[in-house]
Amino acid sequence: MTRTAAWSALALLVSAVLIVATGGSPVEAMQALVRGSVADATAISVTLLYAAPLLLIAAGACVSASAGVFNIGQEGQVLIGALAGAAAGLRLALPGPALIAVVGLAGALAAGFWAWLSALMHRLRGVDIVVSTLLMTFVAQQVVAFAVNTPWLLQESRLGRATVLPQTNKLPPRALLGSLGSYPGLQLNAGLLIAVAAAVSVAVLLTRTRWGFRVTMLGLNPAAAAHSGVRVTVVTGSALAISGTLAGLAGAVLLTSPLSTNRLQPGGTLGLGWDGLLVALIARNRPLLAIPVALLFAVLRSGGSFLAATGVPSYLADIVKALLVLAFVAPRVPWRRLAVA
Amino acid sequence: MGALTLRGITKRYGTVVACDAVDLDVERGEIHGLLGENGAGKSTLMRILLGLETRDAGTILRDGRPVTAGSPREAVALGIGMVHQHFSLVEPLTVWENVILGDTGRIRRSRACAEIHEMSQRYGLPVDPLATVASLSAGERQRVELIKCLRRDPAVLILDEPTSVLTRAESAELFAVLRRVVRSEGRAVVLISHKLAEITAATDRVTVLRHGRVVFRSATAATDVAELARQMVGREVADAAALGLIPAAPHVPEKAQGDPALRIRGLTAPGLTGIDLEVRPGEIAGLYGAEGNGQAQIGDVLCGLVTPDAGTVEVGGVPVDLRTPGALHTAGLGIVPEDRHRAAVVPAMSVAANLTMKDLGTRVWLDRRRLRRRARELAAEFGVVATSLDAPLSSLSGGNQQRVVLARELSGDPRVLVLAQPTQGLDVGAAEDLHERLRRCAHDGMAVLLISTEIEEVLGLADRVLVIASGRVAGELHAAEATPEQLGMLVGGGAG
Amino acid sequence: MNLLDDLGTVLSSSLRLTAPLAFAACGEYLAERAGTLNISVEAMMLGAAFSSVAVAGATGSATTGLAAGVLTGALIGLIHGNLAHRLTINTFVVGLVLNALVLGLTSFLIAGATFGSRPPQRWPLLLLPGIVLLTWWLVERSRWGLELRAVGENPRAADMTGIRVGLRRRQALLWCGALAGLGGAYLAVGEVGSFNQNMTAGRGYLVIAAVIFGGWRLGRTLVGCAVFGLADALRLALPALGVTLNSQLLIAAPYLLALLAMVLFATRHRRPRALGKPFVRQEP
Repeated sequence: MTRTAAWSALALLVSAVLIVATGGSPVEAMQALVRGSVADATAISVTLLYAAPLLLIAAGACVSASAGVFNIGQEGQVLIGALAGAAAGLRLALPGPALIAVVGLAGALAAGFWAWLSALMHRLRGVDIVVSTLLMTFVAQQVVAFAVNTPWLLQESRLGRATVLPQTNKLPPRALLGSLGSYPGLQLNAGLLIAVAAAVSVAVLLTRTRWGFRVTMLGLNPAAAAHSGVRVTVVTGSALAISGTLAGLAGAVLLTSPLSTNRLQPGGTLGLGWDGLLVALIARNRPLLAIPVALLFAVLRSGGSFLAATGVPSYLADIVKALLVLAFVAPRVPWRRLAVA
Repeated sequence: MGALTLRGITKRYGTVVACDAVDLDVERGEIHGLLGENGAGKSTLMRILLGLETRDAGTILRDGRPVTAGSPREAVALGIGMVHQHFSLVEPLTVWENVILGDTGRIRRSRACAEIHEMSQRYGLPVDPLATVASLSAGERQRVELIKCLRRDPAVLILDEPTSVLTRAESAELFAVLRRVVRSEGRAVVLISHKLAEITAATDRVTVLRHGRVVFRSATAATDVAELARQMVGREVADAAALGLIPAAPHVPEKAQGDPALRIRGLTAPGLTGIDLEVRPGEIAGLYGAEGNGQAQIGDVLCGLVTPDAGTVEVGGVPVDLRTPGALHTAGLGIVPEDRHRAAVVPAMSVAANLTMKDLGTRVWLDRRRLRRRARELAAEFGVVATSLDAPLSSLSGGNQQRVVLARELSGDPRVLVLAQPTQGLDVGAAEDLHERLRRCAHDGMAVLLISTEIEEVLGLADRVLVIASGRVAGELHAAEATPEQLGMLVGGGAG
Repeated sequence: MNLLDDLGTVLSSSLRLTAPLAFAACGEYLAERAGTLNISVEAMMLGAAFSSVAVAGATGSATTGLAAGVLTGALIGLIHGNLAHRLTINTFVVGLVLNALVLGLTSFLIAGATFGSRPPQRWPLLLLPGIVLLTWWLVERSRWGLELRAVGENPRAADMTGIRVGLRRRQALLWCGALAGLGGAYLAVGEVGSFNQNMTAGRGYLVIAAVIFGGWRLGRTLVGCAVFGLADALRLALPALGVTLNSQLLIAAPYLLALLAMVLFATRHRRPRALGKPFVRQEP
């Protein structure tokens, strides 16, 4: 624990040095971070909006990692989820609540299927899941690019003489996730509720159910799991699919959240897929721990956009995130191991 | 002046003392046996010699000079060579590449091949330097290991449990080479083993380790098996098989009765061809053969890890669908698989979880209270010694881990119990305990199939012995007619 | 313009797009034969692209810039090697973190500075044949390469034989970093002449795809690079030639081909058996 703290302090120190080296002031940068993330109700609302998809993605990553499957394709799964959600939201003429549900469901199912394809390739031909989920991310990016560049698919409609951009139309307001009650200035989006519910469900699923026991067993010793009657391919496939499902749900939440333009755009994930994976790594694949970590990453997101005003590029937040992951992963190693190797 | 002298070698892992002030003297021209139970500290001692482990205290002298090897490479330079049994050949590489692995300097293929050729002539170890190791049999790999080690001209040769993977003929070949190496080339050999028979047959002098301490040393000719057994274990042991000895009196078979509880017909899988076997209630059937002849594959099929290409398995007269995970368990077959850590247990999970992992119930939610109660009952019944049921299984001793597996497998009241290499890595006390439980299971009417590469274990326990060679059942003998010679002939197959 | 000219244009541009991939692929191939599935090759290329432009701008020498790129790549390889094969952190985690870190760092630094554009320097292309041959010789003929292969196939056996598994893997990553750095630096200084944010844009992942597509054989890996380079060149050239071919398909083609190669030739591939598996010496 103290080691983790020491490493984290080192990570922050490195960031401070970077700020000074580029002519900024660490104190001002810190103030900007706080101002943009937690200083007032509006800032907190934005932070919570970022936290929702991050937490969903991380909760999903916890499921696959527990099963011993390293899914690193969340970025692509988020995109596929957003794509399916956009298609459902734009094409279906349903009343409000039903449409919201269908958008989420479509995103979740499509991304779950997308992730499951990697399990299928593994099952049939022994294709490495880490590699295939990674490569599928780049395929997903092009699938989305194709959809928003093709008029007969999802590209925005031509209005008069305006230039048509590679993006979809705006989703109708009734497809968007609403706010949960209005507190003075504070917006509590329904997406966060979904995400927390997902994280808690994943925690319960992994520790309290037969399926969760089997997933854990599979992750720790696949041969013993098979010997005990676990259908390895089914459990692997379902764990990967659930992980994709939650990432897809995150895509749909992001698409319908006030954070985004409510249009599907090729870069619309804002790189949250990668971030969500990092959240799970810091939380060491424990879904409940992922809640505070997702909040921390959300703070870095929302505060990061305020950095530019102080003359510090907002990319600083990305550096801090990466260093924090290292700080949390590195100290687990016993020192005596360093002597050998 | 000894070729290799150890003085006061001590090694601790946390609070466990693996080696406690060990002294050892190995002379040129002798085969020195290092005898001890599993866990007595033999392997730790050798890892220290080879530079794979650092010692906490003590001196190592080579020809009287103090030395320390920091790595296996340095050990070679000091004239200490090791013949490994497992894990030391790289399968996709060729024989010559494996042999020169660990050398320094430029690679010269033709020279390496010529050297290998010359070595195989000198020692009578035929091997093709251009062959890929993956295509070689266990015996051929042993030859490659020997050539690899002898080519570096070691003054001291260390062999760790060398015969476990070999047939009797291959073992004889190995000992012939060792005798030659010792007598005519003046090298020293350290033979590490927990098998009494091997030590008495092949060594000139013997040192016995118990709980990390040297408790006995003698010229082999001046002692006997009973004395060595007493020194190794620290008490009298009646169970010859647990000591790795051929039982003096032939085993009296139990009365087997009724229809076969386990019937395997035409079982074919990679490494297995048309295996037929039956086990009746109340008998212990032994399936014996040298490693790499198909026992592991039969174990994998009965574990549900491999789906066979053809053939049927019937438990209690009912065919089992082997494609369904857990079907064998449901049908009433309990199995203690080979190599616990591979398939039998999840070391990182709790003792309780390992005891109940095949019996999770049929509901979505785990009934954690019931599972705990069940685990507590089983742990008590089978004498599992653990600080807590919530402790990770890996914190238990090998014997206790094996008890956990046996408890779990017997908890479903199976008709058939299959054990694959059940005493591997166990100390004598734990092996005795296990053998006793097996006899009781059979006595109570269970059908027991014992898959083993240890001839002593099979002869000591089995009422009937089936011999497997090259993935086929080569023959069957009743306990009364099964002798080591008979079994050895069958193991050799058509060629032997 | 006649057809021959068009063909010449496409081929020369595909060669120039292939080169950065091919440099890096030689490194990635070697690292994977030693057992590291190195996804930080993207970070190596991107970091090298940045530092080569920065140093070339500061010193006015493209050669110095290239050297700086090689060193940057090697430095990232050194960091990856120590995190993955000394601290034994999962190599994919290390790769993900390094990719995020270098992307953040270069974006951060470029946001505060501007580098002028410089004329492209194509001469490093001439290094490519030599580097390919050297990589082949190192892996297949040298003792170092034999030990790398042993470490990638069966680290435990290699350890028993006295080969320092972690050290060999770290060395392989260092070499991988230097070559990926050369690829990234060539892209920035050799081809484009400037740096822009995230300029490698996933080329590192293409390199990984190429090694997989090649089934862990050097020749086929380079064929993969050439195919991917051609696809990229076609994507850029076709609109000008009046041919319409789906550009998204061309961008996705390398990844699809790599996936297809894995699915179709899975059993014939010479995938190192210990690829991606960390090695820790076990206590008895």
